[in-house]
Formats: sequence, structure tokens, C-alpha cells
Amino acid sequence: MSKYDSKYLEEKLKRELQTEYVSVTDESDGCGGKFSAVIVSPAFSGKTLLQKHRLVNSTLAEELKEIHAFSQKSYTPEEWEKVKAQ
Amino acid sequence: MPVVNVSAAEEYQKYINADKTTVALFAADWAEQCGQVKDALEELAKITGEKLQFISLNAEQFPDISMKHQIEAVPTVIFFAKGSAVDRVDGVDIAAISAKSKKLAESASSAAATGQTLEERLKALINKAPLMIFMKGDRNGPRCGFSKQLIGIVNETNLPYETFDILGDEEVRQGLKTYSDWPTYPQVYVKGELIGGLDIIKELLANNELESTLKG
Repeated sequence: MSKYDSKYLEEKLKRELQTEYVSVTDESDGCGGKFSAVIVSPAFSGKTLLQKHRLVNSTLAEELKEIHAFSQKSYTPEEWEKVKAQ
Repeated sequence: MPVVNVSAAEEYQKYINADKTTVALFAADWAEQCGQVKDALEELAKITGEKLQFISLNAEQFPDISMKHQIEAVPTVIFFAKGSAVDRVDGVDIAAISAKSKKLAESASSAAATGQTLEERLKALINKAPLMIFMKGDRNGPRCGFSKQLIGIVNETNLPYETFDILGDEEVRQGLKTYSDWPTYPQVYVKGELIGGLDIIKELLANNELESTLKG
């Protein structure tokens, strides 16, 4: 049980990473232990996959101590356009 | 070194936070079985020499400590490495206590013999094979959904790899998170470089970049 919910995580990511699109899904049936996220932010531009994920991990460092499982798909706005087109 | 009876919380903290691995017996005077375990610890203390230190404390005298470690029955034995509990045995299971003590004594002596720091050890581990996976469990018995999915994907590539079970080594488990600045497991390394966790492996697979990345 963590004290975080998807809305809180979305707002934090939006605030910290100036996301153009962010969607966090609680996959733990509400207990707050497992989330998956799609994050689109210009902050990812020019970063490798590893660096993008690190940026998200460090943004949510405090929260991830309590969240048992967190999976992310992190895209630049350009990548996101391609993903949506698929 | 004989088993030390600890009667003050500061003394307890000093022991468990020491560099030396500590075997702590949570006991009660009224429980006869605690005596058996204590005798066993005295014997183990003789065998393991200076590699481990053994303490015994009255669980009821330290309710906060007992609560913290969820001591539900006496005797309970907890193994501490630099302040954190790395293993435990609940009840009178002399065989388990003895096996775990010996294993910890062995790893203490191998670390001392090679003079390796944790950082050197981690570096050696991530470079152990061109493709290294740090996971919960092993390839034949992954013990977490993410590790299991990861092994499934990597097996598809038919590339050779080695795994390290972080559940069996608390020092590596915590140390590698800091060393590689990556908070979760599984972790995949190619030629000593962190590639990422399951999400990244999945994304590389979707982009048809997995095989080339894993080959390095």
C-alpha cells in the first residue's frame, strides 16, 4: 500500500517534466503499489532510452521507494507522433 | 569470541552497525528452547572464529527493536550486515541457523581475503559475462513477474548470458542500485554498461534494436 495514486503521479510528472501528454494507470486495483505510465515530454529530446528512464526515475525517486512496480514508456513529442500513427 | 549478552539499546546498535556481520539471538528467559539456540551459537562462535560476532538479547526488554524486526516468537535469530537485517531464522532450527552463519562467515572471509571493496565487487560482477542479468531468482526460476518476462525475451535472442540472483545477496542488491543509479530489478548489462530494465528491453525489442544492443 502506497500513499500515491495515478492522479498525484500524473500531476507531479506534468509539473516536473512539462509533459505534453501523461497518463498513469494504477494496475494494483487501487492499492497503489503498481503503476504503468506513458510520458511525453520535450525534456527527453536528445536523450538515450536509458537517460529518459533515469530522468523519470529520479523525478519520482521518493515515490518509487514505496511503489513496488512502475513501468514507463517515455517519448519525445516527435516519437509520440510516430507511436500514435502506428 | 563467546556470545555477548546485550542489555542496552546503544550496545545493540553498536554491534549490528559494525563492519563485522552480527548474528543476533532474540530470546526470553522463560523459553527453554532459547537455551538450545544459545548453546548452538556458542559452538558456531568457536567455529567461525573472528569472522562473525554473536549477541543475545532479551526480546521483551527491547519492545521497539523486537517490533521493528517483527519478532513474533522466541527464539528468533536475525543476521545483520552493517546495520541491516540480511537474513533470519524463526524458531529452533539449529540446522538453518548453522548453515546461514557458516555461509555468512565464508563470504566475510572471501571479501577479506581478496580485499575487495563493494564497488570493486560490483564492477567485477557486471563484467562477469558480456551479457549479465541481475534479477530476482535465476533463469530457471525467476521469482518476480518482471524478471520472468525479461528472461523470456532474452531467451528468444538465443544469446548466451549469465544471471545473478540479487535475492541471495543483500549487499549487491542495495549496492548496485546506487552504483548504477537505477532503482529497480531486473537490470541488464552489456559489456559492463547498464542497458536498462524490462521497459527498455521491451522497447528495444519493439524497435528491432534488441539483438544488436545485447551483442554490444
